[in-house]
Amino acid sequence: MSQRIVVDPITRIEGHLRIEAEIKDGKIEEAYSSGTMVRLIEEILRGRDPRDAWAFVGRVCGVCTSVHSTASVRAVEDALGIIIPPNAEMVRNLMFCAQNIQDHVVHFYHLHALDWVDVVSALKADPKKTSEIAQSISNWPKSSPGYFSDLQKRLTKFVESGQLGIFANGYWGHPAYKLPPEVNLIGVAHYLEALEWQKEIVKVHTIFGGKNPHPNYLVGGMACSISLDDASGINAERLSYVLTVLKQAKEFVEQVYVPDLLAIAPYYLDWGAIGGGLGNYLVYGDLSTTSYREPKNFKFPAGAILNKDLSKIHEVDLRSDNEVQEFISHSWYEYAGGDGVGLHPWKGETKLNYTGPKPPFEHLNVDEKYSFLKTPRWKGHAMEVGPLARVLVGYASGRTDYKEVVDSVLKKLNIPATALISTLGRTAARGVEALLVAQWSLEFYDQLITNIKNGDTRMASTEKFQPDTWPKQAMGVGHNEAPRGALAHWIVIEDQKIANYQLVVPSTWNASPRDKEGKSSAYEAALKDTPIADPNQPLEILRTVHSFDPCLACAVHLYDEEGKHISKVKVL
Amino acid sequence: MKEPNILILGVGNYLMGDEGLGVHVARALQDEQLPEGVDVLDGGTAGFQLMEYLEKYPIVIMIDATLDKNTVGTIRLIEPKFSQDFPKAMSTHEIGLKDLVESLALLGKLPKIYLYVMTVQDIANLHVGLSQFVEEQLPQLKRLILNKVDDLLPAVLV
Repeated sequence: MSQRIVVDPITRIEGHLRIEAEIKDGKIEEAYSSGTMVRLIEEILRGRDPRDAWAFVGRVCGVCTSVHSTASVRAVEDALGIIIPPNAEMVRNLMFCAQNIQDHVVHFYHLHALDWVDVVSALKADPKKTSEIAQSISNWPKSSPGYFSDLQKRLTKFVESGQLGIFANGYWGHPAYKLPPEVNLIGVAHYLEALEWQKEIVKVHTIFGGKNPHPNYLVGGMACSISLDDASGINAERLSYVLTVLKQAKEFVEQVYVPDLLAIAPYYLDWGAIGGGLGNYLVYGDLSTTSYREPKNFKFPAGAILNKDLSKIHEVDLRSDNEVQEFISHSWYEYAGGDGVGLHPWKGETKLNYTGPKPPFEHLNVDEKYSFLKTPRWKGHAMEVGPLARVLVGYASGRTDYKEVVDSVLKKLNIPATALISTLGRTAARGVEALLVAQWSLEFYDQLITNIKNGDTRMASTEKFQPDTWPKQAMGVGHNEAPRGALAHWIVIEDQKIANYQLVVPSTWNASPRDKEGKSSAYEAALKDTPIADPNQPLEILRTVHSFDPCLACAVHLYDEEGKHISKVKVL
Repeated sequence: MKEPNILILGVGNYLMGDEGLGVHVARALQDEQLPEGVDVLDGGTAGFQLMEYLEKYPIVIMIDATLDKNTVGTIRLIEPKFSQDFPKAMSTHEIGLKDLVESLALLGKLPKIYLYVMTVQDIANLHVGLSQFVEEQLPQLKRLILNKVDDLLPAVLV
């Protein structure tokens, strides 16, 4: 006998995602992922000035403002052949690093931890024992028995007042929660500390981007002026503040995030064999130590891995007509050339054609179209993108910085490298990446300072800023490695205006529906075979889906009428 | 110089028509001459990134669009203390804003929030700019906010 369960919307993500799963003998047999909001940013951009696109795409989401804006200015610069000055490269890298670390920490504590940490159990913790555990895993100073006991009192008051709020949507007491109360209390303490900490790191964006949220970007460089002794621009004082914040970030990752990860993981090692999914990984590459145009210097090397084969890294070409393509055979769109074709984004089309059931409905018809996400493929393969993909490509490329961190995590958890291809591995890879990015950010900072001290204060290249210098037609692609994975924007400029603009975002790669051959994308593949202890409380689905850090806001877009987490179970 | 006391914070997504109401209001108020101690911020679609602002100001006047059963254009003033006091279909801040409010409450750092919401129609069509009807309600909403500022200022300037 099998059951069909529906989780809609998946909460603790940005955007709106629905998962339907068929369960047989306590395991997921088939899963279907549907983006239930529509996105038409492409249509908003058509006909606009390409130099303004960054400001619009920066608004598609509350989380990834800066990575979308970066991809956008890079696409335009690529189309027009603009080379940006070294300072602007470093400033973009620093803003990228700040966002990456902030996002990973926020994801771990605020979006994912509650899948593993039972808040209600934390109320039963012994503060003294909690303190001992905390001090055994890290030198982080906030770890006294008094600190944990104060927090526990506040938490108890909060829970008893009925104001569970942030903690309301949990499956507390679910048998799949395995942590002792003391580790749960550490998790809750750091949930709150992470929140306090993250407000500092985002100031890197305020300083370089002029404002936050939604910092300023500029085609040709960055919209800030740097001079060590300039009172109004970015001067020595502001730069030293950036350094302070970056150092604090490194400290937080090293002393809080990663120790917590390593303290929680041993209780969930079975998840090192669950949720692996596709085994195909795609990375566009990012964070060059010289120029974005020199991929050989990327800290995140580009490449693709197929069938878990780490011995071969395949080259990726975003310009090739038959590498990245988007399909719509299961998506509510139509193409002029019919449903069977795949389109490279430069030829991409965004025409809605909703043929799904009229809400409210019980189930999607998954044999037909069932999502507002298109289905991207690389050379026809379904690919996973994100921190795990980046860590595996870096590791498989033989990079020593990756090898050192990854091997130390594997050794501490006493698990083989193959366990990385799992739900646990995805979550661990994010921590590994945060460690690396925190180290790299200090290198980029040094490079920026050295460059300024050598007398180079150029921040933008303006010679091709005026549209009368542009060719009649130009095409470009701009990519980066957003927190959730490979992100690229493709632009076609005609007569100084945007003629076509396509975003292929990380969650489209991961959360998309099946392709025309019926092949699953990353979420659907990873959910297959996941054990479900209680279909009424499908905590296990949340674990695997959250391990990808879904962010559907840019993949699709609309509102969430009730904002409630609903799961329905139906016996088939 | 006095510390800033009141923040007028417009939130929403301006790519989604009327959903961007808060942003449009913030931008309009940025052009006005406001009393000392009163700042305006276009919060856009941000969530957790707004924390430093919510901690810095004792009073935050928030503006957002909402989808509810009221007549389109209805303006309501809510004084939320907990995340569930916020309208359910408020903006696209799936993560962030409500969790942030809740966490600040737990940390004992929640400012006094006055939330002005205006009921808007289905925001299914993505476009930039407000519908004519909502646009026409803007002056009234602006007036309500500025009156609120006048009411609150004497208390916070002491």
